[in-house]
Amino acid sequence: MATIDTRIVKTNDISKDDLMWQIEYNPQRCTLCGKCAAACTFNAIKPDVERRRKVYSEGSEPKPNVKWITEPVIKQIVRTNKNCVGCGMCAKVCPNEAIKPVYNDKHRMNVKYRAENADSPKRGGRTNLHTEGRTLDKIKIGRISQMTDPSLDAQRHTFDLLAPFGRVLPPEQLPFVVKDGELKISQNGPQTRWIYPIIIGDMSIGALSTRMWEAVAIATAYLNEVVGLPVRMCSGEGGMPLKLLKSRYLKYMILQIASGHFGWDRIINTMPEMIEDPAGVLIKIGQGAKPGDGGLLLAKKVVRHIQEIRGVPKSDLLSPPNHQGLYSIEESVQKMFLSMNSAFKFRVPVAIKVAASTTSVSVYNNLLRDPYNIVGGFFLDGIAGGTGAAHEVSLDHTGHPIVSRLRDCYLAAVHQGKQGQIPLWAAGGIGMNGTLAADAFKMICLGANGVFTGKLILQIAGCVGNDYGKCNACNTGLCPVGITTQNRTLVDRLDVDKVAENIVNYFIATNTELKKLMAPIGNSSLPVGRSDALVTVDKNVATRLEIQHVC
Amino acid sequence: MSNKFIINSLMDNKRLSTQELLQLIYEKINEGFTEFEITASGQHNIGGPLWTNDGSPLEFDVKNPGQRVGSMGMPGTKIVVEGSAPADVGWLNSGAEIIVKGDGGDTTAHCAASGKIYIGGRVGARSGALMKHDPKYPAPEFWVLKNTGSFSFEFMGGGTAVVCGAGCENLESVLGSRSCVGMVGGTIYFRGKVKDLSSDVYIVDLDDNDKQFLFDGLVDFLEKIDRTDLLDSLSDFSQWMKIVAKSYDERKSNHLIPIKDFRKNNWVEGGIFSDVYEDDFEVAPIVAKGVHRLRYPVWENSAMTAPCENHCPIGIPTQKRIDLIRKGKLKEAIELVFNYSPFPASVCGKLCPNLCMEECSRGYVDEHIKVSDLGIMSRDVIAPSFPTTKAEKVAVIGAGAAGLAAAWQLKMRGYSVQVFDEDTEIGGKLRQVIPVERLPKEYLDKELGRLKTSGINFTLGHRVDAEVFGKINEYFDAVIIACGAHNPVVIPFEGNEKLVKGLEFLKRINRGEHPEIGKRVVIIGAGNAAMDVVTGAYKMGAEHVTAIDIQKPAAFDKEIEHAKSLGAEILYPCFTEKVTDDGVYLKDGRFLPADTVIISIGDRPDFGFLNPEYLDERGFVKLDEYKRSEINPKVFLAGDAIKQGLFTNAIAEGNHAAENVVHMFKGESLDTFTKAPQLPRDRVKTEYYQGLSAPAVQKIEAWDEKDRCMSCGLCRDCEFCLNACPEQAISKYTDANGNTIYVSNEERCIGCGICAGVCPCGIWTMKDNFENIDELASI
Repeated sequence: MATIDTRIVKTNDISKDDLMWQIEYNPQRCTLCGKCAAACTFNAIKPDVERRRKVYSEGSEPKPNVKWITEPVIKQIVRTNKNCVGCGMCAKVCPNEAIKPVYNDKHRMNVKYRAENADSPKRGGRTNLHTEGRTLDKIKIGRISQMTDPSLDAQRHTFDLLAPFGRVLPPEQLPFVVKDGELKISQNGPQTRWIYPIIIGDMSIGALSTRMWEAVAIATAYLNEVVGLPVRMCSGEGGMPLKLLKSRYLKYMILQIASGHFGWDRIINTMPEMIEDPAGVLIKIGQGAKPGDGGLLLAKKVVRHIQEIRGVPKSDLLSPPNHQGLYSIEESVQKMFLSMNSAFKFRVPVAIKVAASTTSVSVYNNLLRDPYNIVGGFFLDGIAGGTGAAHEVSLDHTGHPIVSRLRDCYLAAVHQGKQGQIPLWAAGGIGMNGTLAADAFKMICLGANGVFTGKLILQIAGCVGNDYGKCNACNTGLCPVGITTQNRTLVDRLDVDKVAENIVNYFIATNTELKKLMAPIGNSSLPVGRSDALVTVDKNVATRLEIQHVC
Repeated sequence: MSNKFIINSLMDNKRLSTQELLQLIYEKINEGFTEFEITASGQHNIGGPLWTNDGSPLEFDVKNPGQRVGSMGMPGTKIVVEGSAPADVGWLNSGAEIIVKGDGGDTTAHCAASGKIYIGGRVGARSGALMKHDPKYPAPEFWVLKNTGSFSFEFMGGGTAVVCGAGCENLESVLGSRSCVGMVGGTIYFRGKVKDLSSDVYIVDLDDNDKQFLFDGLVDFLEKIDRTDLLDSLSDFSQWMKIVAKSYDERKSNHLIPIKDFRKNNWVEGGIFSDVYEDDFEVAPIVAKGVHRLRYPVWENSAMTAPCENHCPIGIPTQKRIDLIRKGKLKEAIELVFNYSPFPASVCGKLCPNLCMEECSRGYVDEHIKVSDLGIMSRDVIAPSFPTTKAEKVAVIGAGAAGLAAAWQLKMRGYSVQVFDEDTEIGGKLRQVIPVERLPKEYLDKELGRLKTSGINFTLGHRVDAEVFGKINEYFDAVIIACGAHNPVVIPFEGNEKLVKGLEFLKRINRGEHPEIGKRVVIIGAGNAAMDVVTGAYKMGAEHVTAIDIQKPAAFDKEIEHAKSLGAEILYPCFTEKVTDDGVYLKDGRFLPADTVIISIGDRPDFGFLNPEYLDERGFVKLDEYKRSEINPKVFLAGDAIKQGLFTNAIAEGNHAAENVVHMFKGESLDTFTKAPQLPRDRVKTEYYQGLSAPAVQKIEAWDEKDRCMSCGLCRDCEFCLNACPEQAISKYTDANGNTIYVSNEERCIGCGICAGVCPCGIWTMKDNFENIDELASI
């Protein structure tokens, strides 16, 4: 009798056991409806046939019988790359719970992938290593106004949830002039916009699908015009849609310029047709998820309309890790800030974003001098920030947690009596557990003027990924929910209205929650730097952040 | 006795504390007093909760009270404050009537749950907050002549408040700002303007009941505060409105407009990307049909080559032969092969190492298909004499495998073909050198006979020299040179003149001669031809034959096994130093004694009949990619004349030369005969097939191979796809040529790939609907 399994298996062949995600399939529950295979964007499963060979004996003597059945099944495809990413679309569409991906925590892909492909693995998402707990979760709001001072009623009282984007001058430098016996503000002062303390950003067109980016833009406009929350969205650096540049909604957009300068020629050429100024300009120097790395958009996402918006041909788009032409902090401030301030004739505030680093305080100290009053904010992005595409080694192993670094910057300003002059905005995993208000509130108490969040927005939109290796395939252009892909087949899966509605709802809920946190400490405006409101049971956290240690 | 007790809270220059004042009141009530005239000095809580045992009412006339006058007041208690009162008048009022002739402070009527509170002036912030109505008791009323401070009526749950706005006509709001936050019940009547109310309430017009209530109440109220003069101006109800709380359901309902409406009505028309990307914003389901499928199936019958077809140098599609057998078309099956080769029995059946079977899918189940037996099945087929229907004439130089194959192809197509050969018999090396043990005479004779009667003209025993070639070239429209390689190669080591040439040795045997070679023979070379020499040597009486090679022998395993079975020894690597009369000395010092040393390392063609300009510096004909002479476009080459190879290579090249000649005649572009790629092995589902034991395979006759052949890449019409498709998207029909065709309907197909997954032959192929899916980055 010939062999039953005709596969020729060799020692070095990759096997299912090596994979990070394994498909668990139950043929007894499967009706072969094909939906799982039809839904899998990663082509990680396929219909195939399997043998069921049964050798048995009937009766009271050895009497061999062979039953030979060949049965169609769904099988996982095992390859050295492009395997199942655990997105779970198969399980989602299966009517019978017959199939699902299961994480294999003993996988060997870290070895296999590199050994087979001579390539550094890339993915999207954020750090997947959980070597330390989240600092923010160790902090509680422990100072509750009771008989010492009146607490507020979160639902019923009015709160001022506004944060500055732009340079804030100390009282003695405010540009007041006395004219005709009246105190007036001269128009020459720096422009500061008071906006919602949570900025959505900054994810580019290209990294996001057109539908996703537009849904965020619609949600932002809606939050401003219908709900009344002055939320701003940062464009990311992937160009701007011309129609948006020419619309009145431009005023809710913070335009980003990164080292690739993608799309800025279009922004410049559109200036005469703009009917509103943008909300601000954000100079991106670095990104928390992959500090030291420039932007990365792989060629398959650079489809025709992305080429057009960015003004580039089809290719892998790699931005340099730093702005070419900026060689020092001084030059960054003088050259880049001046240029971007002048872009909109000094009417639009300009801030800068860097990846959190052990050098952050030095940078902030330098910015604080700001003799020209052109530094409109310092955005600090921590290691738990997200990205559309990066080398895994950068995602998992480079970066700096945001909390202590933000705190350090704030205290550095306090020691010079300059807190609040250059607004501090923090990001990098803010809201990653879905609790944006709590994270934002704690960061604000530690000294942030506001926070910005991106990955959470994707989660709200229906991203199925998580920080435990699930999906994280934003780089592949195969996003199964249509968020980080430019493929029409997949983009069409995304419901623009539903996404915008969910973002709006999330912000409404977050707004309520922020008030629920402000009320008990008795603040009706943002408690920037009110670290007295925070306590922690972790002695190290308490010591490092200079907040109360409790037990 | 008078029932009235007068208290002056400042006695003997000493102020009564709140506790002393209140305890004095309790004492006097116990003594039977029911009326009090109190000149207070800021004492709190005057007026409640107090009652008499007989239920007779209590009345307080108070001047200068402290906070919370009338707090927790009970039914039957009436308090009149002459002038104003500080904060919390009527706090938690539970039934008392409280009249303040002047203003009330902040949080007047706070938590009032019953009773009536009348204020003859204005009240401060948060007044009326948390008023409520317990249905067990009468609802509270709260009358204010002028206005309230901000944040009034917060969390109000019941009762009635009336804010008359007297003298407040210029105020922006008679309720201050942010009043009514959290209000869930009760009614507030107001006269004048309000602004900045919470979103928890509605403002509505008065109805007749409201007006009646107000009018009656105003009469009463104004009288109590001694301002009946205002009745007329205040009872112009056109100046009045009322505030009611939203109901529970109204409060729950989302007042935000749907995003879709916002997008369609407010947002940039058509979307912000509409200048570069068309989008209708329709949402596709995860499992979709038509254009939203991730992949779609294509029925690619015979689009790729089966392993047999691909590996056969001639490209004989064995799977198609067997398919004809499967369909009962045995005759067609036997004849099909003649489209490819005139030597199915001799070559496929006997000589060929059957490269076609190297990757036969069936070999992965038990053993490969018996292709040589299939070839032999065609041995006795007699061909017709093909008529000449075309004007063009072709000369073929050489009547070996390549030349005959070319002639056969051209003759079948109706061309006039003239084959020239030096030999007096056709067959070339097939007849001249192949040992009869490998190719029995009756096989070759049958197949050569078929060629002889096919209408091909032969000019035999006539060597083509330069002069003859010149005439041929002039007379014929195309020339195919298939002269083979008949010039044995000799290596110029010492003693090379002593060598016997293998080719000549074999030719002599086949001519019936009996060359003397002695007992010990060494053969230099161990290729397929050398193995034939081994066979010949043993036949000529050798007892010990050794074949040596400088590398791993190039002969096929089958040939080596045969040679070894005769007793031959095969040694490698062996580098010959010299040949003497005693044998062969190797460079490593070994000596191989031999009576005869035969060299068989290959043969070169003899192109003496060609002008040197045809040839390159190595003496081969200069050819283009179509194997056509670079200098004479009507001269094509085939077979060993190009490069020594297998008989199947020679036949393939003969076929190709013939076909390109036909293309040339028809003015078509020539062909390089690149094969379609081979169907990947995993596309053929071996799982369906139960392997047979070796004896069972042995017993199978060639025409029963239809049960074992897996029909790689060729639809066997099993209808598995038709049945397995979950969407019933596949249908089958017969086209105009009688071929069975399967199609998938994109209106139904979800692109699951089950058709491809179950197809035993690998016909259904899933194509990606994505752009550049194969260039996906690493995950």
